[in-house]
Amino acid sequence: MEQIKLTVNGKDYELQIRPWATLLEVIREDLGLTGAKEGCGEGECGACTVIMDGKAVNSCIVLAVEANGRQITTIEGLAEGDKLHPVQEAFLEKGGMQCGFCTPGMILSTKVLLDGNKNPTDEEIRKGLEGNFCRCTGYTKIFESVKAAAQKVRG
Amino acid sequence: MKEYTVIGQRVPRIDGRQKVMGQAKYAADYSLPGMLFCKVARLPVAHARILNIDTSKAERLPGVKAVVTAKDFNGWTWGFMANTRDEPPLAMDKVRYYMEAVAGVAAIDEDIAEEACDLIKVDYEELPAVFDPEEAIQEGAPVVHDYRPNNVSVEYHWNFGDVEKAFAESHLVREDRFRTSRATKGYLEPPASLAWYDPAGSITVWAAKQSPYFHYRHLAACFELPLSKIRVIQPFIGGGFGGTKNDSVAGDFCAVMLSKMTGKPVKFIYAQEEELTVSKRRHSMIVYNKMGMSKDGLITAIQSRVIADGGGYTAVSPLTMYLTGCCTPLPYKLPHYKYDCYRAFTNNPICAAMRGHGVTHTRFACEIQMEMMAEELGIDPVEIRMRNAIDNPKTGEIYRTINDMTLKTCGIKEAIQTLVRDPLWAQKDKAPKQDGSVSYGVGMSATSYLGGARQLGHQSCAATVRICEDGTVNLITGATDCGQGSDTVLAMIAAEELGVRYQDIDFKMVDSAYTPVDPGSYGSRVTVLAGQAVQTAAADAKKQLLDILGREWKVSPGEIEIKNAEVYHKSNPSRRIPFDKLAKIACYSGSGAVIIGKGYSGYGIEPLGFENGRGNAGTSFSFTAQTTRAGVDMETGHVTISDFVIAHDCGRPLNPIGAESQNEGGAVQGMGQAIYEDFIMDRGKTLNPTFLDYKMPRSTDVPNIKVIDIITDDPDGPFGAKEASEGSHVSAPPSVVAAIHDATGIWFKEQPVTAAKIVAALKEKGKWPR
Amino acid sequence: MSQFYRRLPRLQYFLPKTLDEALSFLKEHKAAARLFAGGTDLVPQLKKRETDIPLYLVDLKGIQGLDAITYDEEAGLKIGPLATISAIATCPFVQDHYPSLFQAASSMASPQVRNRGTFAGNICSAVPSADSAPALLALEASVRLLGQKGEREVPIDQFFTGPRKTVLEADEMLLEIGVPSPKPGSRGVYLKLSPRHSMDLAIVGVAAVGTCEDGVCKNIKIALGAVAPTPIRVPAAEATLEGKRITPGIIEEASQKAASQCSPIDDHRASLEYRRDMVYILARRALNHVFMQ
Repeated sequence: MEQIKLTVNGKDYELQIRPWATLLEVIREDLGLTGAKEGCGEGECGACTVIMDGKAVNSCIVLAVEANGRQITTIEGLAEGDKLHPVQEAFLEKGGMQCGFCTPGMILSTKVLLDGNKNPTDEEIRKGLEGNFCRCTGYTKIFESVKAAAQKVRG
Repeated sequence: MKEYTVIGQRVPRIDGRQKVMGQAKYAADYSLPGMLFCKVARLPVAHARILNIDTSKAERLPGVKAVVTAKDFNGWTWGFMANTRDEPPLAMDKVRYYMEAVAGVAAIDEDIAEEACDLIKVDYEELPAVFDPEEAIQEGAPVVHDYRPNNVSVEYHWNFGDVEKAFAESHLVREDRFRTSRATKGYLEPPASLAWYDPAGSITVWAAKQSPYFHYRHLAACFELPLSKIRVIQPFIGGGFGGTKNDSVAGDFCAVMLSKMTGKPVKFIYAQEEELTVSKRRHSMIVYNKMGMSKDGLITAIQSRVIADGGGYTAVSPLTMYLTGCCTPLPYKLPHYKYDCYRAFTNNPICAAMRGHGVTHTRFACEIQMEMMAEELGIDPVEIRMRNAIDNPKTGEIYRTINDMTLKTCGIKEAIQTLVRDPLWAQKDKAPKQDGSVSYGVGMSATSYLGGARQLGHQSCAATVRICEDGTVNLITGATDCGQGSDTVLAMIAAEELGVRYQDIDFKMVDSAYTPVDPGSYGSRVTVLAGQAVQTAAADAKKQLLDILGREWKVSPGEIEIKNAEVYHKSNPSRRIPFDKLAKIACYSGSGAVIIGKGYSGYGIEPLGFENGRGNAGTSFSFTAQTTRAGVDMETGHVTISDFVIAHDCGRPLNPIGAESQNEGGAVQGMGQAIYEDFIMDRGKTLNPTFLDYKMPRSTDVPNIKVIDIITDDPDGPFGAKEASEGSHVSAPPSVVAAIHDATGIWFKEQPVTAAKIVAALKEKGKWPR
Repeated sequence: MSQFYRRLPRLQYFLPKTLDEALSFLKEHKAAARLFAGGTDLVPQLKKRETDIPLYLVDLKGIQGLDAITYDEEAGLKIGPLATISAIATCPFVQDHYPSLFQAASSMASPQVRNRGTFAGNICSAVPSADSAPALLALEASVRLLGQKGEREVPIDQFFTGPRKTVLEADEMLLEIGVPSPKPGSRGVYLKLSPRHSMDLAIVGVAAVGTCEDGVCKNIKIALGAVAPTPIRVPAAEATLEGKRITPGIIEEASQKAASQCSPIDDHRASLEYRRDMVYILARRALNHVFMQ
């Protein structure tokens, strides 16, 4: 077993974990935060996306031990109580989801995209989300949600 | 012009907030104390006789609590029809496709369960196998199921009119061979469930099922329990698209059996590679299509001979092959039609249903062939369609096809004309045709899909609208939202009918202990049929409420209206109370009343005529015309789809955001099949069972999409609705292939139209640089 | 019997704090220890049991100073083994002086994978389609390897020995990728052909870096990915151009030569014939980009 310290959504955790556990498994099973999903388990679909030290990563292929000492944000950490993050608001208003399985990862990738660029072009939005697969929506309303979120973020 | 309060509004999804907050729980997100983990062990052989299974080492591994094999299921099998119950939960005497499930293990954690599976030994005798469906139905092919010695799993022979005579009298006749992709649903959420077998004799599962009641019947039959003791609780579903989540999988049965054996809850989750290797996927079909036309391009006859690769078991394919043939007389007038189909057993993974079920294969063939013939006759793509398309029946009239399908609305001509006026088509000759090595083209399609489908047997559904004493409203149905948005639209229907606001409706997800039985989410039936049940239930609740208020106010209930959660006297609107006051009055009147509105879908179609193809496939039919703009790199064959315009007649889109999203998603999924998606098989083994290599469209692949509504207000759907989930999935592949033809001058008849196929065809025509 | 794994196999984890610690560990455990940086190739492989399962995973990310990307005109570009693909793609030195490397980095996988994966990992995994390799070959990069016997420098065109095989000994690690300063006036490009617009392995990758003076080719390096057991240079195609006046005809000749010099395979991703044809097309485009402004 390995001992690790994680800060997840602003809260500090000290955990004993198997060294071969992935960050996704620890987030979902040890911390009970089931927003991050396992879609493919090999870093292809982005359903497991979390933000680690400000960068979007596929938590299914990050070992939990690698996250020792890091700051993690999951979908559960975006809203402030009942107040939705602007990205969440935009996805809700524009209908940027259907089954919702890709949604937590999609929203986190959007947040990271907008953190770095408040006015992305269509091309930059598509490229920024290329690691997040959606089978339901055809992406159209996801793009609309991202643009609406960008507008909210720009104020 | 109809005016609705809730219907037609752009409302957020009823479950949207939970989804954006990551609060929506899917099957894999559930846990129970003491839960064990189930893992399914599989045989990596396409066709083999099982001689012996040795689970002793696995059973002895510390942490393993039970192991299950076929013998524990006592020879039980299931299937779509009484005479096709050929599928066992775990392989019994034989495995018939690569990685078919042979055993299940329950252990205290997933690591141990996986280690245990590695310890199971199977002695088997490999058998000669067959992988090509046309080979499989030839004399001498290895037999997959003894009960079908010719490997023909399903076959139909339909005959309407006299095609021979019609062909003989035609000005032009073409015969072509088409092939559709080996495609799959591609949802993100792998199958999963959490099962609890209560020793007192009941089963509870949280299962990722888009039609939970199929699973409930399977469990009752498999475990010999009454339906009243089967509780299937539907969590949020991570995509369905027909097929697997409309059925049960090995993991489901193993989890319940292992729970029974251990007395503990048991969970299983498939890996995505597992899903892509073994789960039920769309049939790949070969369509030998023959079409006749008059000199003016009017279709005289169609003869379709279809050979489908069915894989190792029957599944829902009797319905698949019916749907493959029944809608050929739509959306164009067709006076003579012959359909012969053979669905072959092979040692490939099982093929079953998927969005656009059946229809997509023959509609692809007919659309492309029709355009090829139009080209020969010198008639343009719009003209050929307008000459053949079915007219929108006048109010009170019905259009009847030669196989006795009936339409009350058909917006295809308006859809086509809408696309003609839209800039993508209208200005296509002004847009650049060439940019460096890229050649651009615009293509069109016109298609139809059924809604309000039925399978066999039970097809009714029901709803209850429960008015709580504080005026909040519960909507309870057996209908499942697998992402397509049915919860939202049903809530909108209830709100509109009852007169409350959309946000006043609380929707309860399926729990078979409490929700009424429902056929399920398939065949685009939920809005139409469950919608009718919901509308009726809401009207019933409203009636009960207004009967009571009428007595209080001393007016006839018909003189009271409810709108936007306000209740008022129609002829004296200043006499009004809020809805919650009405609920209180009604619930506390006398010694109290419990206001429950009940509704059933009272209409539906006759049982399907599989053997002769006659009769309605659905209660109504949507019509979709689509234009596509594609750029083809004439040196690499690489295709970029830049635009879709979809003109969709779904009667009336009740939930516009939802209907648009379904059209957008369906078309993109169809585009995937047209140009990217295909399982590459090597003697039954899938070579590309990963998201890397089974190539579905990503954010950088999708076109700009415009959806235009064609309103026809169908009298048979709640508030005029018809289906809006599958039409654009059928319209996309022929539209994309037509666009590729416009760009390259080449007709492609085999999906997917990959870059390599394009280059090979360009080379053949001398249009490639080297 | 078989199954589809969701969990990684049992492994132990070691986080060395210095290079010495890492190397001693490697020497002691040899093949039972696997080094990793981003893990974006290794972890999926381990999950699917597609590679030998080591006893130990040795995480290099605990060692300071290995993620630097430096540049000066004399020494050229130095990429540390822990520099992520994202860091490389957004590095001004790379964008300004090595457009082919920028294009390669931007073409790889997704933002999530680029945030973790490294060029070092990409070339050590040595898949024939590795996107960083053709540009590094065309730029005549070299790698510094560090083992128990000390350091050695290996030109990149001698680094790959076969599919997933390199000259790295069991006790060695990659310490640095060095890319010479670009020649004055040189132009470079990396072209990647794949079915979709993202998230694909290259069916064919072509990099070309060269200089032209008064319409005459002063130097040219062409490298191909995904069409041979390793990423390769094509000296015979380069020889067609060196010292010659650039014309569409000579570009045509060189492109045909490049296509004839590769040895692609038929696999489920593409056929031999298509790959070979696409080498011709992409080489032509790359050379046009380098030479025909």
